Amino acid sequence: MKTLLPWLLWVWMAVVIWAAFFYSPLAAGFIGQSSRVLFFHVPLAWTAFVGFLAAAVWSARYLFFGRRLRDDRAAAVAVEVGFVFCVLATVTGALWARIMWGAYWNWDPRQTSIILVLIFYGAYLSLRGAVEDGEKRARLAAVYALLGVVVTPFFFFIVPRITYSLHPDSVINSRGEVDMESRMLQVLLAAFAGNAALFFWIHNLQCRLRALAEGKARP
Amino acid sequence: MELGGLGWIVIVNLVIWTGLFLYLLRLGKRVKELEKER
Repeated sequence: MKTLLPWLLWVWMAVVIWAAFFYSPLAAGFIGQSSRVLFFHVPLAWTAFVGFLAAAVWSARYLFFGRRLRDDRAAAVAVEVGFVFCVLATVTGALWARIMWGAYWNWDPRQTSIILVLIFYGAYLSLRGAVEDGEKRARLAAVYALLGVVVTPFFFFIVPRITYSLHPDSVINSRGEVDMESRMLQVLLAAFAGNAALFFWIHNLQCRLRALAEGKARP
Repeated sequence: MELGGLGWIVIVNLVIWTGLFLYLLRLGKRVKELEKER
């Protein structure tokens, strides 16, 4: 069963890619086919958010439940992989902005907030690189990642709702409703599930690789 | 049968996804081997 799961994910994502272009209708008010970027951009951003929250959970486990190295490792890898997803969300968003707004970058509140999230987690990675002592590094990084529980939802969910932005409404809009065509919503949720599975697959591999490398480095 | 613009985009996406998938699959096998060696 375990060996079958990656193949199931391949089929799942292949169907999502097909559905994004041939099953889902176009959204109203978008230029040409640009609304299809949604099925890549939004799941990438949501998965990055899940990754950063998972990092906070592993950090809390490290701080409050036994100071185990594997929890620190899992938190660090979650931020690294989440960071890549966040960069990809930024790039796909900029490609969409070029079509809709005429420029890749406009300093729209959404674009500014995602850059601030990237700076926040870039600083986390720098912090880890700057402290040599393993235990001190793990402790400081865990406290910093816990701050992410406040910072990440603020930039992902609160800033877009309290500022005027050209960015389309969130999936759950400002009135707390899901205002999206049902086939679009199906593809979007399926894409998110696939992206989340991909995140945890990469996370698992990277954690095991890091454990092997750390085992080798130990005298 | 002519493949439209969307068809090409789907094919490029599938090639990228399959490449990443095969890379991860191979990496997973290699990690398992290394874990067994230890």
